[in-house]
Amino acid sequence: MLPAGCGGRLAAALAAALGDGAERRRELERQAARGRALLGRWDAEDEERQKSDSSSSNGQESRPSPKELEELELLSRALAKALKVRKSIQKTSVEAQGVREGEKAANEGPAPKNAQVQQVPVSSEGVPVTTKVKAVSRKPTSSKKPSSYLLTAPYRTDPDVKKAHRKAPARCMSQAPRTAGKSSSKAVASKQARRHRLTISASNQEVCAAAESQKTDGLSKCGLLEQQSVSLGDSAGGKNLVAAGRQLFDTGKEGCGSLGGSSKKEDHTTEDALGRNSSPQADTLQEKGSRLKFPLPYRKAYSRNSRAWENCRLCQSSADAAAARNRFIERIQTTFCSPMPAFSPAEIEEEVKVLQNVPSLLSQCVEAEHADHPTLQREYESLLTLEGLQTIASQCLHKLQLLREDDGAEHTLSKFADDTKLGGAADAPEGLCCRSEGPRQAGEMGRQESHEVQQREVQSPTPGEE
Amino acid sequence: MRRARGRALPGAVAALCRALPPRARPAPDTLRRARFDRPQASSHCWRLLCSLLKQVHGGKWTEPDAIDIQIRFIKSVLWYHGYGRPELYRLPSDGSAGSRELLLAFSWLLHRISLLEQLLARNRVRTGDETSVCTCEDDLTNSQKGRTEIAPEYSLEDKVDVRYLQWLHGRLRFQWRSLHALHQEQSKLLHKIHLFTSGSHMDKILGHFSVTETELIRQPENYKQLLQFLESETMQLEAFLEWKQLEQVYWHWMETVLDDMAEEGSMCKSQDAHTMKSMLPKGDSCCHWAGSLVGKIDRLSRDLMTVHDQLQELVTHRKSAWYEKVKTREEELQKEEFCAAARKTQEAVELKLLDLTYHCAPKKPKMHGSCRLVFRSKHSASKTGFGRSVSKEPISTVSATEVIRELQMRKASLERELKQLQEECRQRMDEIAEGLDGVICISP
Repeated sequence: MLPAGCGGRLAAALAAALGDGAERRRELERQAARGRALLGRWDAEDEERQKSDSSSSNGQESRPSPKELEELELLSRALAKALKVRKSIQKTSVEAQGVREGEKAANEGPAPKNAQVQQVPVSSEGVPVTTKVKAVSRKPTSSKKPSSYLLTAPYRTDPDVKKAHRKAPARCMSQAPRTAGKSSSKAVASKQARRHRLTISASNQEVCAAAESQKTDGLSKCGLLEQQSVSLGDSAGGKNLVAAGRQLFDTGKEGCGSLGGSSKKEDHTTEDALGRNSSPQADTLQEKGSRLKFPLPYRKAYSRNSRAWENCRLCQSSADAAAARNRFIERIQTTFCSPMPAFSPAEIEEEVKVLQNVPSLLSQCVEAEHADHPTLQREYESLLTLEGLQTIASQCLHKLQLLREDDGAEHTLSKFADDTKLGGAADAPEGLCCRSEGPRQAGEMGRQESHEVQQREVQSPTPGEE
Repeated sequence: MRRARGRALPGAVAALCRALPPRARPAPDTLRRARFDRPQASSHCWRLLCSLLKQVHGGKWTEPDAIDIQIRFIKSVLWYHGYGRPELYRLPSDGSAGSRELLLAFSWLLHRISLLEQLLARNRVRTGDETSVCTCEDDLTNSQKGRTEIAPEYSLEDKVDVRYLQWLHGRLRFQWRSLHALHQEQSKLLHKIHLFTSGSHMDKILGHFSVTETELIRQPENYKQLLQFLESETMQLEAFLEWKQLEQVYWHWMETVLDDMAEEGSMCKSQDAHTMKSMLPKGDSCCHWAGSLVGKIDRLSRDLMTVHDQLQELVTHRKSAWYEKVKTREEELQKEEFCAAARKTQEAVELKLLDLTYHCAPKKPKMHGSCRLVFRSKHSASKTGFGRSVSKEPISTVSATEVIRELQMRKASLERELKQLQEECRQRMDEIAEGLDGVICISP
């Protein structure tokens, strides 16, 4: 059994270390979870997040304003018109985009649209756009009363209709109700709200992810519509659609403008998506990591910040300011207690820290020199090296001695040589015998000191134990 | 001239205040009142200084202590940095006076420890993956010290079974192993994230996103606070730049403070440092610090002495062998070519030793604290080579290979120390065992 004092201390130290370790483990696990989340599918994560959001935030919504409803109606009328026009366009204009879309577009297109639209009149809830869209696209079976708005009818498409036909309208339609949905969405969908919401990027992501399985996160409706209007631009009948698309694009762009960078990125990724017909684009960091960009407000803040840091790093005091400062410092130091120690405690600690490595460095070098030396020259070199090491060792000992003396009440003059220069390490062979005196003296002094300090050390722990 | 200075002074003081961190930002008025030694500004000044110094000394921000504890802390920190005005150390512990003294101390610290720069660096908004590269044990021992101080309260009467300690030790080792595995996993994840996002960052030197930044892109709404911190830091930096333009005025102003004090005759006669030290608060921290430092110096001297003696022995031995060799070959050595070779050897040795002394002398400020982890692939043109490099700013970077080398050196020295201590323990056990007759020791 160990005595209580040291045993208790040891136990406490071990327990403290265990506590620290547990904390560290928790932190590491948290960080690892973050990392894993980022490396997984981004839309899957968002989906879960949306689900939890929708389930949790159901009670906080407000009614849409009449203005919003009016806007919605206008918008939906415009879109209905555009859709009619669009329907008459041949498949050639869509084939370029058609291949990738897949069934999901067809299936999810109509269903969510309905649910989406149906949600519009359920206006007692001010679910944020993301939630709503998400709830829509993932829970098409949610029970909502049928809408009195016009959006339902034109958007329900017959699954038997040609794929090509369906895709463009599907996409257009999927955009439209979402836009509509967005604009009607209680607290969020008004243009003003959209502008202020960073969630738009996320919601845009959702929109496109829902519509097309292979779309990456970054697609916004703006980018998509732009793409669409561009692709449809050549067809004669598409003018209205283009106009409608452009209108949407503009309104969307206003909203997205303040969120800026995303649209650029999204256009880029749209193009990418369109370019790659065959490879399925998973929604992971691996696929899109090199194309990511900061959101605009953050980018601005970041660049301002790094510029400021750079300026601060480069800025220096003017000569006058430095002179004035030094004058002040000198004057105030004349008011200090007169025999100030050469080293402040901070400096002593700093020096000791630096010297900590010296014994091990020297030992390493000594070990290196133990090897056999075949040639005369090599042996000479080895000898010189060892002597140099000896000098270094004695210099450091001397310095330590000075530090220790300073720590006490005595103030000694510190006149040791600049220790970046080596004192005569590479003398001519003749001088070798003379220099051995110096280090021995320092060594003796050092030994003497250690005795005194050992006594002091015995005394000092007692105040701490009280 | 004076009027111009007078106009610029409020600007300078205001810029100085704005450049301080938000939690410890005084009103410019406080400094002005302190200049005239108003007692009502004293407690503000104490609190301000305490908060600033705590930040500099790496402490986490805790609830402010009572004023006398704060005052004790400030005095010990100022002593630690070598501040020598006895008037400050004589100030009362209730915080009722001393605003002018504190203003002087604050200005001295501004220069002495580059207070503003340090605060900015320490409080920097960190958006990267942070890791630390220094192997300083000081913070560790401080925190441990705190814990072992309070620990003796429990189990003071009971004796401790050594098997309990062994069990705790075993648990600790197991914990280390699992931490190591977690670290490895974390490294792999980071590597992937850094690799996948290469080429995206607007700062081309960094080149890739960190975890925080990737999360920010994915879910910007979660990081509004980060944006605010970033903006507030930018304002602080701009205030710092403004201060740098105007600081001359401030230093002139501080000199007028000294002038006033000289007139008042409050400069006391010089006392020696011994008595000043006696005025220091006799807190545990000072004693512990001093005691531990003395202990460190002793251990260091002991080690150095060992190496030095070893070297001395080796040198004398080698020298005698050398002279033996030289005696037989004297003519050969007189030749010119050997002298030339000898000179070259001397130069080579000088270089080698210079490199060593560079390591022994205080070098450029080592990277302390946490740094941002930046991934550099093999093919990039950086000097850091393969593997990750750690960089805080574009300028001061350290490569992973350097860090690894330093850690290996540290490991070697710790192993040596461990062996030494084990040897000492063994010797002591031998001595004890010799004293015990007829006793057989069985190891657990």
